[in-house]
Amino acid sequence: MATQRHCLAQLSRLCLSSTRAVSSPSAVRFLSTTAVCASRGKFAPKILSKKEKAGIASKGQNPQKNKKKDAPQKKRKARTTYKTYDLKDAEMFSLCDAMRYIRAFEVGRSPTSVKYEMALKLKSQKNGPVVRNRLRLPHPVRTDIRICVICPPDSKYAEQARAAGASLVGEEDIFEAVKDGRIEFDRCICQTDSLDKMNKAGLGRILGPRGLMPNTKLGTVVKDPAAVLKDMVGGAEYRERLGVVRMAIGQLGFTPEEMQKNIRTFIEAVKKDMAHLNDRINKELYEVVLSSTNAPGFPLNGEFISADSKITTRELSTS
Amino acid sequence: MVAVVRRMRKLRALLAIRLGPGAAVLPPEVTRIHMDFATDIHDGHYGPRAFWRNCLPRLKYHNPAVPMTVNRTINQTGPALMTVHFTSPEAAATIKTEISSTVDKQTSTGPVPESKAGPPTERTEVINMKHRHDSEILEQLLKLTKAKVVRPTAEEQREMQEMEEQNARSERDAAMMAEVNAKRKREEEILEQARGEVEAMQE
Repeated sequence: MATQRHCLAQLSRLCLSSTRAVSSPSAVRFLSTTAVCASRGKFAPKILSKKEKAGIASKGQNPQKNKKKDAPQKKRKARTTYKTYDLKDAEMFSLCDAMRYIRAFEVGRSPTSVKYEMALKLKSQKNGPVVRNRLRLPHPVRTDIRICVICPPDSKYAEQARAAGASLVGEEDIFEAVKDGRIEFDRCICQTDSLDKMNKAGLGRILGPRGLMPNTKLGTVVKDPAAVLKDMVGGAEYRERLGVVRMAIGQLGFTPEEMQKNIRTFIEAVKKDMAHLNDRINKELYEVVLSSTNAPGFPLNGEFISADSKITTRELSTS
Repeated sequence: MVAVVRRMRKLRALLAIRLGPGAAVLPPEVTRIHMDFATDIHDGHYGPRAFWRNCLPRLKYHNPAVPMTVNRTINQTGPALMTVHFTSPEAAATIKTEISSTVDKQTSTGPVPESKAGPPTERTEVINMKHRHDSEILEQLLKLTKAKVVRPTAEEQREMQEMEEQNARSERDAAMMAEVNAKRKREEEILEQARGEVEAMQE
Protein backbone atom coordinates (compact mmCIF):
# COMPACT_ATOMS: atom_id res chain seq x y z
CA MET A 1 0.00 0.00 0.00
CA ALA A 2 2.73 2.36 0.98
CA THR A 3 4.60 1.88 -2.22
CA GLN A 4 1.49 2.41 -4.21
CA ARG A 5 0.78 5.68 -2.47
CA HIS A 6 4.30 6.79 -3.06
CA CYS A 7 3.88 6.03 -6.70
CA LEU A 8 0.71 8.04 -6.81
CA ALA A 9 2.30 10.97 -5.16
CA GLN A 10 4.85 11.03 -7.88
CA LEU A 11 2.19 10.76 -10.50
CA SER A 12 0.18 13.62 -9.10
CA ARG A 13 3.31 15.72 -8.85
CA LEU A 14 3.98 14.99 -12.46
CA CYS A 15 0.50 16.15 -13.28
CA LEU A 16 0.88 19.34 -11.32
CA SER A 17 4.10 20.23 -13.02
CA SER A 18 2.61 19.55 -16.40
CA THR A 19 -0.31 21.83 -15.60
CA ARG A 20 2.00 24.77 -15.28
CA ALA A 21 3.55 24.11 -18.63
CA VAL A 22 0.35 23.73 -20.59
CA SER A 23 -1.77 26.77 -21.44
CA SER A 24 -5.18 25.20 -20.72
CA PRO A 25 -4.69 23.80 -17.20
CA SER A 26 -8.20 22.75 -16.27
CA ALA A 27 -8.72 20.29 -19.06
CA VAL A 28 -5.44 18.57 -18.54
CA ARG A 29 -5.88 18.27 -14.84
CA PHE A 30 -9.30 16.82 -15.30
CA LEU A 31 -8.03 14.32 -17.77
CA SER A 32 -5.15 13.17 -15.69
CA THR A 33 -7.08 12.81 -12.46
CA THR A 34 -9.74 10.73 -14.06
CA ALA A 35 -7.11 8.51 -15.55
CA VAL A 36 -5.55 7.95 -12.21
CA CYS A 37 -8.88 7.45 -10.50
CA ALA A 38 -9.87 4.88 -13.05
CA SER A 39 -6.78 2.89 -12.48
CA ARG A 40 -7.28 2.92 -8.71
CA GLY A 41 -10.89 1.90 -8.66
CA LYS A 42 -14.03 3.24 -7.07
CA PHE A 43 -13.30 3.02 -3.36
CA ALA A 44 -9.76 4.24 -3.35
CA PRO A 45 -9.03 7.14 -0.99
CA LYS A 46 -9.08 10.63 -2.31
CA ILE A 47 -5.92 11.92 -3.92
CA LEU A 48 -4.38 14.48 -1.67
CA SER A 49 -2.80 17.75 -2.60
CA LYS A 50 0.84 18.38 -1.80
CA LYS A 51 0.02 20.44 1.26
CA GLU A 52 -2.27 17.87 2.76
CA LYS A 53 0.24 15.18 2.14
CA ALA A 54 2.94 17.11 3.93
CA GLY A 55 0.64 17.42 6.96
CA ILE A 56 0.07 13.72 7.05
CA ALA A 57 3.71 12.95 6.66
CA SER A 58 4.60 15.14 9.61
CA LYS A 59 1.93 13.44 11.70
CA GLY A 60 3.65 10.25 10.78
CA GLN A 61 1.92 7.33 9.29
CA ASN A 62 5.32 5.76 9.32
CA PRO A 63 7.53 8.04 11.42
CA GLN A 64 10.54 5.75 11.34
CA LYS A 65 10.70 5.87 7.61
CA ASN A 66 10.20 9.60 7.35
CA LYS A 67 12.85 10.31 9.91
CA LYS A 68 15.41 8.22 8.12
CA LYS A 69 14.90 10.05 4.91
CA ASP A 70 15.20 13.56 6.33
CA ALA A 71 17.94 13.27 8.97
CA PRO A 72 21.55 12.99 7.83
CA GLN A 73 22.89 9.47 8.12
CA LYS A 74 24.33 9.22 11.62
CA LYS A 75 25.58 5.67 11.69
CA ARG A 76 28.73 5.43 9.64
CA LYS A 77 30.20 2.18 8.54
CA ALA A 78 32.77 0.97 11.05
CA ARG A 79 36.26 1.26 9.62
CA THR A 80 37.94 -2.00 8.75
CA THR A 81 41.49 -0.70 8.69
CA TYR A 82 43.57 1.01 11.33
CA LYS A 83 43.76 4.74 11.10
CA THR A 84 46.80 6.08 9.33
CA TYR A 85 47.86 9.68 9.44
CA ASP A 86 49.41 11.81 6.79
CA LEU A 87 53.08 11.93 7.65
CA LYS A 88 53.87 14.74 5.23
CA ASP A 89 54.30 17.35 7.93
CA ALA A 90 55.59 15.02 10.60
CA GLU A 91 59.07 15.61 11.88
CA MET A 92 61.42 12.75 11.03
CA PHE A 93 64.85 11.99 12.40
CA SER A 94 67.93 10.23 11.21
CA LEU A 95 69.03 7.35 13.40
CA CYS A 96 71.98 9.22 14.89
CA ASP A 97 69.89 12.29 15.75
CA ALA A 98 67.25 10.15 17.41
CA MET A 99 69.91 8.29 19.34
CA ARG A 100 71.48 11.53 20.49
CA TYR A 101 68.17 12.74 21.89
CA ILE A 102 67.36 9.40 23.47
CA ARG A 103 70.76 9.20 25.10
CA ALA A 104 70.20 12.66 26.53
CA PHE A 105 66.83 11.59 27.91
CA GLU A 106 68.33 8.48 29.45
CA VAL A 107 71.35 10.15 31.01
CA GLY A 108 72.52 8.68 34.27
CA ARG A 109 70.70 5.39 33.88
CA SER A 110 72.23 1.98 33.65
CA PRO A 111 73.27 1.25 30.05
CA THR A 112 72.32 -2.40 30.38
CA SER A 113 68.86 -1.97 31.88
CA VAL A 114 67.55 0.74 29.57
CA LYS A 115 66.35 -0.55 26.22
CA TYR A 116 65.76 0.97 22.83
CA GLU A 117 62.33 0.05 21.51
CA MET A 118 61.12 -0.07 17.98
CA ALA A 119 57.52 0.26 16.81
CA LEU A 120 56.62 -0.52 13.22
CA LYS A 121 53.23 0.80 12.23
CA LEU A 122 51.59 -1.13 9.44
CA LYS A 123 48.81 -0.31 7.05
CA SER A 124 46.60 -3.21 7.82
CA GLN A 125 43.11 -4.58 8.18
CA LYS A 126 41.65 -4.80 11.66
CA ASN A 127 40.73 -8.41 11.18
CA GLY A 128 42.63 -11.17 9.47
CA PRO A 129 46.04 -12.68 10.17
CA VAL A 130 48.72 -10.81 12.06
CA VAL A 131 52.45 -10.69 11.69
CA ARG A 132 53.99 -12.90 14.30
CA ASN A 133 57.37 -14.54 14.40
CA ARG A 134 60.59 -15.09 16.25
CA LEU A 135 63.82 -13.40 15.38
CA ARG A 136 67.44 -13.53 16.38
CA LEU A 137 68.98 -10.09 16.25
CA PRO A 138 72.64 -9.73 15.27
CA HIS A 139 73.20 -8.11 18.66
CA PRO A 140 70.80 -9.68 21.13
CA VAL A 141 69.11 -7.43 23.64
CA ARG A 142 68.44 -9.94 26.34
CA THR A 143 70.58 -12.99 26.95
CA ASP A 144 69.31 -14.40 30.24
CA ILE A 145 66.11 -16.14 29.17
CA ARG A 146 65.15 -19.29 31.07
CA ILE A 147 63.95 -21.99 28.74
CA CYS A 148 62.07 -25.15 29.59
CA VAL A 149 62.25 -28.22 27.35
CA ILE A 150 59.61 -30.92 27.62
CA CYS A 151 61.07 -34.28 26.62
CA PRO A 152 61.87 -37.56 28.41
CA PRO A 153 64.65 -36.69 30.88
CA ASP A 154 66.83 -39.65 29.89
CA SER A 155 66.62 -39.23 26.11
CA LYS A 156 69.37 -37.86 23.89
CA TYR A 157 67.26 -34.74 23.29
CA ALA A 158 67.41 -33.94 26.98
CA GLU A 159 71.19 -34.15 26.94
CA GLN A 160 71.46 -31.92 23.90
CA ALA A 161 69.00 -29.44 25.34
CA ARG A 162 70.93 -29.20 28.58
CA ALA A 163 74.10 -28.64 26.62
CA ALA A 164 72.44 -25.91 24.58
CA GLY A 165 71.47 -24.01 27.73
CA ALA A 166 67.99 -25.15 28.78
CA SER A 167 67.28 -24.41 32.43
CA LEU A 168 64.58 -27.05 32.86
CA VAL A 169 64.36 -30.44 31.15
CA GLY A 170 61.87 -33.18 31.90
CA GLU A 171 58.27 -34.35 31.63
CA GLU A 172 56.27 -35.35 34.71
CA ASP A 173 58.19 -33.24 37.20
CA ILE A 174 57.68 -30.13 35.05
CA PHE A 175 53.95 -30.85 34.73
CA GLU A 176 53.73 -31.20 38.51
CA ALA A 177 55.66 -27.98 39.05
CA VAL A 178 53.47 -26.04 36.63
CA LYS A 179 50.30 -27.36 38.25
CA ASP A 180 51.63 -26.21 41.61
CA GLY A 181 52.11 -22.76 40.14
CA ARG A 182 55.89 -22.84 39.99
CA ILE A 183 56.62 -21.53 36.53
CA GLU A 184 60.33 -20.94 36.54
CA PHE A 185 60.87 -20.33 32.85
CA ASP A 186 60.16 -17.67 30.22
CA ARG A 187 59.90 -19.96 27.19
CA CYS A 188 58.73 -23.51 26.71
CA ILE A 189 59.61 -25.99 23.97
CA CYS A 190 58.10 -29.43 23.54
CA GLN A 191 59.62 -32.41 21.77
CA THR A 192 57.21 -33.91 19.22
CA ASP A 193 57.05 -37.33 20.91
CA SER A 194 56.09 -35.78 24.26
CA LEU A 195 53.24 -33.74 22.81
CA ASP A 196 50.53 -36.29 23.65
CA LYS A 197 51.69 -36.56 27.23
CA MET A 198 51.71 -32.82 27.60
CA ASN A 199 48.22 -32.44 26.16
CA LYS A 200 46.95 -35.11 28.54
CA ALA A 201 48.52 -33.32 31.47
CA GLY A 202 46.22 -30.35 30.82
CA LEU A 203 48.69 -27.52 31.07
CA GLY A 204 46.83 -25.38 28.57
CA ARG A 205 44.76 -23.70 31.22
CA ILE A 206 47.85 -22.58 33.12
CA LEU A 207 50.36 -21.96 30.36
CA GLY A 208 47.95 -20.77 27.69
CA PRO A 209 47.11 -17.34 29.12
CA ARG A 210 50.80 -16.70 29.71
CA GLY A 211 51.65 -17.52 26.12
CA LEU A 212 53.96 -20.32 27.19
CA MET A 213 52.01 -23.28 25.81
CA PRO A 214 54.01 -25.09 23.13
CA ASN A 215 52.21 -25.05 19.82
CA THR A 216 53.09 -26.39 16.40
CA LYS A 217 51.94 -23.16 14.79
CA LEU A 218 54.41 -21.13 16.79
CA GLY A 219 57.25 -23.52 16.08
CA THR A 220 57.62 -24.52 19.71
CA VAL A 221 56.78 -28.17 19.13
CA VAL A 222 59.80 -29.56 17.33
CA LYS A 223 61.74 -32.72 16.58
CA ASP A 224 65.07 -31.40 17.75
CA PRO A 225 64.77 -28.93 20.66
CA ALA A 226 68.48 -28.17 20.76
CA ALA A 227 68.45 -26.46 17.37
CA VAL A 228 65.52 -24.21 18.32
CA LEU A 229 67.10 -23.51 21.67
CA LYS A 230 70.09 -21.95 20.01
CA ASP A 231 67.79 -19.56 18.21
CA MET A 232 65.86 -18.80 21.33
CA VAL A 233 68.81 -17.87 23.49
CA GLY A 234 69.17 -14.28 22.45
CA GLY A 235 66.19 -14.55 20.17
CA ALA A 236 63.09 -12.45 20.63
CA GLU A 237 59.47 -12.75 19.67
CA TYR A 238 57.40 -10.11 18.06
CA ARG A 239 53.78 -9.87 17.04
CA GLU A 240 51.44 -7.31 15.58
CA ARG A 241 48.99 -5.77 18.00
CA LEU A 242 46.51 -3.15 16.80
CA GLY A 243 48.48 -2.72 13.62
CA VAL A 244 51.81 -2.13 15.33
CA VAL A 245 54.76 -4.49 15.73
CA ARG A 246 56.88 -3.64 18.75
CA MET A 247 60.14 -5.07 19.94
CA ALA A 248 63.08 -4.19 22.14
CA ILE A 249 65.84 -3.53 19.64
CA GLY A 250 68.92 -2.69 21.68
CA GLN A 251 70.50 -1.72 24.93
CA LEU A 252 71.34 1.89 25.62
CA GLY A 253 75.05 1.14 25.36
CA PHE A 254 74.83 -0.02 21.74
CA THR A 255 76.70 1.92 19.11
CA PRO A 256 74.81 3.43 16.14
CA GLU A 257 76.28 0.78 13.84
CA GLU A 258 74.99 -2.02 16.03
CA MET A 259 71.61 -0.40 16.22
CA GLN A 260 71.53 -0.01 12.47
CA LYS A 261 72.26 -3.69 12.02
CA ASN A 262 69.56 -4.68 14.49
CA ILE A 263 66.96 -2.36 13.03
CA ARG A 264 67.69 -3.49 9.49
CA THR A 265 67.36 -7.15 10.47
CA PHE A 266 64.11 -6.52 12.29
CA ILE A 267 62.50 -4.56 9.48
CA GLU A 268 63.59 -7.07 6.87
CA ALA A 269 62.16 -9.92 8.96
CA VAL A 270 58.82 -8.14 9.33
CA LYS A 271 58.70 -7.36 5.62
CA LYS A 272 59.39 -10.99 4.81
CA ASP A 273 56.61 -12.07 7.17
CA MET A 274 54.20 -9.66 5.51
CA ALA A 275 55.07 -11.11 2.11
CA HIS A 276 54.55 -14.65 3.38
CA LEU A 277 51.01 -13.93 4.54
CA ASN A 278 48.00 -14.81 2.46
CA ASP A 279 47.98 -13.37 -1.07
CA ARG A 280 44.83 -11.38 -0.46
CA ILE A 281 46.16 -9.77 2.67
CA ASN A 282 48.09 -6.67 1.78
CA LYS A 283 50.08 -5.13 4.58
CA GLU A 284 52.43 -2.26 4.15
CA LEU A 285 55.08 -0.75 6.37
CA TYR A 286 53.96 2.72 7.16
CA GLU A 287 56.01 4.29 9.93
CA VAL A 288 59.13 3.37 11.90
CA VAL A 289 59.41 4.84 15.39
CA LEU A 290 62.39 4.52 17.71
CA SER A 291 61.83 5.03 21.40
CA SER A 292 63.29 3.91 24.68
CA THR A 293 62.31 3.25 28.26
CA ASN A 294 62.02 6.92 29.24
CA ALA A 295 62.21 8.85 25.98
CA PRO A 296 59.47 9.97 23.57
CA GLY A 297 59.03 8.24 20.21
CA PHE A 298 61.14 9.43 17.30
CA PRO A 299 59.89 8.67 13.78
CA LEU A 300 62.85 7.64 11.65
CA ASN A 301 63.33 8.82 8.09
CA GLY A 302 65.57 5.93 7.10
CA GLU A 303 68.84 7.86 7.05
CA PHE A 304 71.69 6.71 9.20
CA ILE A 305 73.19 10.13 9.85
CA SER A 306 71.84 13.40 8.55
CA ALA A 307 73.97 15.35 6.09
CA ASP A 308 74.30 18.44 8.26
CA SER A 309 75.03 16.51 11.43
CA LYS A 310 77.67 18.03 13.67
CA ILE A 311 78.33 14.86 15.61
CA THR A 312 80.09 11.67 14.62
CA THR A 313 78.99 8.13 15.32
CA ARG A 314 82.07 7.79 17.52
CA GLU A 315 80.63 10.36 19.89
CA LEU A 316 77.44 8.34 20.24
CA SER A 317 79.33 5.16 20.99
CA THR A 318 80.45 6.08 24.48
CA SER A 319 78.39 5.16 27.45
CA MET B 1 50.23 3.49 18.88
CA VAL B 2 50.11 7.01 20.21
CA ALA B 3 48.45 9.29 17.69
CA VAL B 4 50.74 11.29 15.47
CA VAL B 5 49.61 14.74 16.60
CA ARG B 6 50.18 13.98 20.23
CA ARG B 7 53.56 12.49 19.46
CA MET B 8 54.60 15.53 17.44
CA ARG B 9 53.43 17.83 20.18
CA LYS B 10 55.62 15.92 22.59
CA LEU B 11 58.54 16.16 20.22
CA ARG B 12 58.37 19.92 20.30
CA ALA B 13 59.61 19.56 23.84
CA LEU B 14 62.89 18.59 22.21
CA LEU B 15 63.54 22.26 21.92
CA ALA B 16 63.61 22.26 25.69
CA ILE B 17 66.33 19.65 25.71
CA ARG B 18 68.48 21.67 23.35
CA LEU B 19 68.11 24.97 25.18
CA GLY B 20 67.68 26.08 28.73
CA PRO B 21 69.62 25.68 31.94
CA GLY B 22 72.39 23.18 31.38
CA ALA B 23 72.77 23.73 27.63
CA ALA B 24 76.54 24.15 27.45
CA VAL B 25 79.47 22.67 25.56
CA LEU B 26 82.17 21.33 27.82
CA PRO B 27 85.84 21.73 26.87
CA PRO B 28 87.56 18.54 25.60
CA GLU B 29 89.54 18.18 28.81
CA VAL B 30 86.44 17.08 30.68
CA THR B 31 86.29 13.32 30.26
CA ARG B 32 83.60 12.27 32.64
CA ILE B 33 81.03 13.53 35.13
CA HIS B 34 79.87 11.37 37.96
CA MET B 35 77.16 12.17 40.51
CA ASP B 36 76.69 10.48 43.87
CA PHE B 37 73.61 11.14 45.93
CA ALA B 38 70.76 9.48 47.78
CA THR B 39 67.55 8.17 46.23
CA ASP B 40 65.23 10.20 48.45
CA ILE B 41 65.07 13.99 48.61
CA HIS B 42 65.37 14.46 52.36
CA ASP B 43 68.39 15.95 54.06
CA GLY B 44 69.57 18.15 51.21
CA HIS B 45 69.38 15.62 48.40
CA TYR B 46 66.73 17.48 46.45
CA GLY B 47 69.07 19.73 44.49
CA PRO B 48 71.19 16.91 43.05
CA ARG B 49 68.13 15.08 41.82
CA ALA B 50 66.69 18.22 40.27
CA PHE B 51 70.03 18.80 38.57
CA TRP B 52 70.02 15.27 37.21
CA ARG B 53 66.45 15.57 35.95
CA ASN B 54 66.62 19.11 34.60
CA CYS B 55 70.16 20.01 33.63
CA LEU B 56 72.02 16.79 32.93
CA PRO B 57 70.00 15.81 29.83
CA ARG B 58 70.86 19.14 28.19
CA LEU B 59 74.49 18.76 29.11
CA LYS B 60 74.45 15.25 27.67
CA TYR B 61 72.79 16.43 24.48
CA HIS B 62 75.52 18.97 23.84
CA ASN B 63 78.30 16.64 24.95
CA PRO B 64 77.23 13.23 23.69
CA ALA B 65 80.71 11.73 24.04
CA VAL B 66 81.21 12.57 27.70
CA PRO B 67 80.10 9.70 29.95
CA MET B 68 77.78 10.99 32.63
CA THR B 69 76.91 8.53 35.35
CA VAL B 70 74.62 8.73 38.32
CA ASN B 71 74.89 6.57 41.39
CA ARG B 72 72.08 6.79 43.89
CA THR B 73 72.56 5.27 47.32
CA ILE B 74 70.09 4.41 50.06
CA ASN B 75 72.23 6.23 52.61
CA GLN B 76 70.16 9.37 53.11
CA THR B 77 72.61 11.00 55.53
CA GLY B 78 75.59 10.47 53.23
CA PRO B 79 77.24 13.10 51.05
CA ALA B 80 76.00 14.38 47.69
CA LEU B 81 79.02 14.88 45.47
CA MET B 82 79.70 15.56 41.83
CA THR B 83 83.05 14.39 40.53
CA VAL B 84 84.37 15.95 37.34
CA HIS B 85 87.27 14.14 35.69
CA PHE B 86 89.82 16.18 33.75
CA THR B 87 92.60 15.07 31.49
CA SER B 88 95.50 16.99 30.00
CA PRO B 89 94.79 18.92 26.77
CA GLU B 90 97.29 16.76 24.86
CA ALA B 91 95.64 13.52 25.94
CA ALA B 92 92.24 14.97 25.14
CA ALA B 93 93.37 15.73 21.60
CA THR B 94 94.77 12.27 20.88
CA ILE B 95 92.91 9.69 22.97
CA LYS B 96 89.20 9.35 22.55
CA THR B 97 86.69 8.00 25.03
CA GLU B 98 86.32 4.25 25.01
CA ILE B 99 83.29 2.97 23.17
CA SER B 100 80.64 1.23 25.18
CA SER B 101 80.21 -1.81 22.96
CA THR B 102 82.22 -2.75 19.93
CA VAL B 103 80.88 -3.73 16.56
CA ASP B 104 82.97 -6.86 16.09
CA LYS B 105 81.00 -9.95 16.86
CA GLN B 106 83.12 -11.40 19.66
CA THR B 107 82.41 -8.72 22.19
CA SER B 108 79.15 -7.24 21.10
CA THR B 109 77.01 -10.38 21.17
CA GLY B 110 77.36 -10.49 24.95
CA PRO B 111 75.94 -7.95 27.33
CA VAL B 112 77.38 -4.48 27.01
CA PRO B 113 80.26 -3.80 29.41
CA GLU B 114 79.83 -1.16 32.08
CA SER B 115 81.07 2.29 31.23
CA LYS B 116 84.80 2.96 31.34
CA ALA B 117 86.72 6.17 30.90
CA GLY B 118 89.07 6.42 27.94
CA PRO B 119 91.85 8.97 28.34
CA PRO B 120 93.72 8.86 31.68
CA THR B 121 92.28 11.12 34.33
CA GLU B 122 94.81 13.71 35.40
CA ARG B 123 92.87 15.38 38.14
CA THR B 124 89.37 15.28 39.56
CA GLU B 125 87.39 18.14 41.02
CA VAL B 126 84.58 17.58 43.49
CA ILE B 127 81.51 19.76 43.87
CA ASN B 128 79.48 19.41 47.03
CA MET B 129 75.82 19.34 46.02
CA LYS B 130 74.23 18.81 49.38
CA HIS B 131 71.68 21.45 50.39
CA ARG B 132 72.23 23.26 47.08
CA HIS B 133 69.68 24.33 44.52
CA ASP B 134 70.14 22.86 41.05
CA SER B 135 70.89 26.28 39.57
CA GLU B 136 73.69 26.73 42.09
CA ILE B 137 75.15 23.35 41.18
CA LEU B 138 75.03 24.25 37.50
CA GLU B 139 76.68 27.59 38.14
CA GLN B 140 79.51 25.91 40.02
CA LEU B 141 79.98 23.30 37.32
CA LEU B 142 80.09 25.89 34.53
CA LYS B 143 82.61 27.96 36.46
CA LEU B 144 84.77 24.93 37.22
CA THR B 145 84.85 23.56 33.68
CA LYS B 146 84.72 26.92 31.82
CA ALA B 147 82.00 25.51 29.59
CA LYS B 148 80.52 27.53 26.73
CA VAL B 149 76.82 28.20 27.28
CA VAL B 150 74.64 27.60 24.21
CA ARG B 151 72.38 30.53 23.40
CA PRO B 152 69.20 30.17 21.32
CA THR B 153 69.19 31.56 17.79
CA ALA B 154 66.50 33.95 16.62
CA GLU B 155 64.56 31.14 14.97
CA GLU B 156 64.70 29.04 18.10
CA GLN B 157 63.69 31.97 20.23
CA ARG B 158 60.63 32.46 18.08
CA GLU B 159 59.74 28.79 18.39
CA MET B 160 60.16 28.91 22.13
CA GLN B 161 57.86 31.87 22.35
CA GLU B 162 55.31 30.04 20.24
CA MET B 163 55.49 27.08 22.57
CA GLU B 164 55.01 29.31 25.56
CA GLU B 165 51.94 30.86 23.97
CA GLN B 166 50.58 27.44 23.20
CA ASN B 167 51.13 26.31 26.76
CA ALA B 168 49.43 29.40 28.12
CA ARG B 169 46.50 28.80 25.81
CA SER B 170 46.18 25.19 26.84
CA GLU B 171 46.27 26.20 30.48
CA ARG B 172 43.52 28.72 29.91
CA ASP B 173 41.42 26.16 28.07
CA ALA B 174 41.98 23.62 30.80
CA ALA B 175 40.78 26.10 33.44
CA MET B 176 37.71 26.85 31.35
CA MET B 177 36.88 23.20 30.92
CA ALA B 178 37.44 22.53 34.61
CA GLU B 179 34.82 25.17 35.41
CA VAL B 180 32.32 23.64 33.00
CA ASN B 181 32.95 20.18 34.37
CA ALA B 182 32.58 21.37 37.96
CA LYS B 183 29.26 22.98 37.13
CA ARG B 184 27.98 19.86 35.45
CA LYS B 185 29.06 17.77 38.38
CA ARG B 186 27.38 20.09 40.84
CA GLU B 187 24.11 19.90 38.94
CA GLU B 188 24.31 16.16 38.82
CA GLU B 189 24.89 16.05 42.54
CA ILE B 190 21.88 18.24 43.23
CA LEU B 191 19.72 16.02 41.04
CA GLU B 192 21.00 12.93 42.80
CA GLN B 193 20.25 14.43 46.15
CA ALA B 194 16.74 15.40 45.11
CA ARG B 195 16.08 11.90 43.90
CA GLY B 196 17.26 10.54 47.21
CA GLU B 197 14.90 12.81 49.09
CA VAL B 198 11.95 11.75 46.98
CA GLU B 199 12.71 8.13 47.65
CA ALA B 200 13.01 8.79 51.36
CA MET B 201 9.62 10.50 51.38
CA GLN B 202 8.01 7.61 49.57
CA GLU B 203 9.28 5.23 52.19
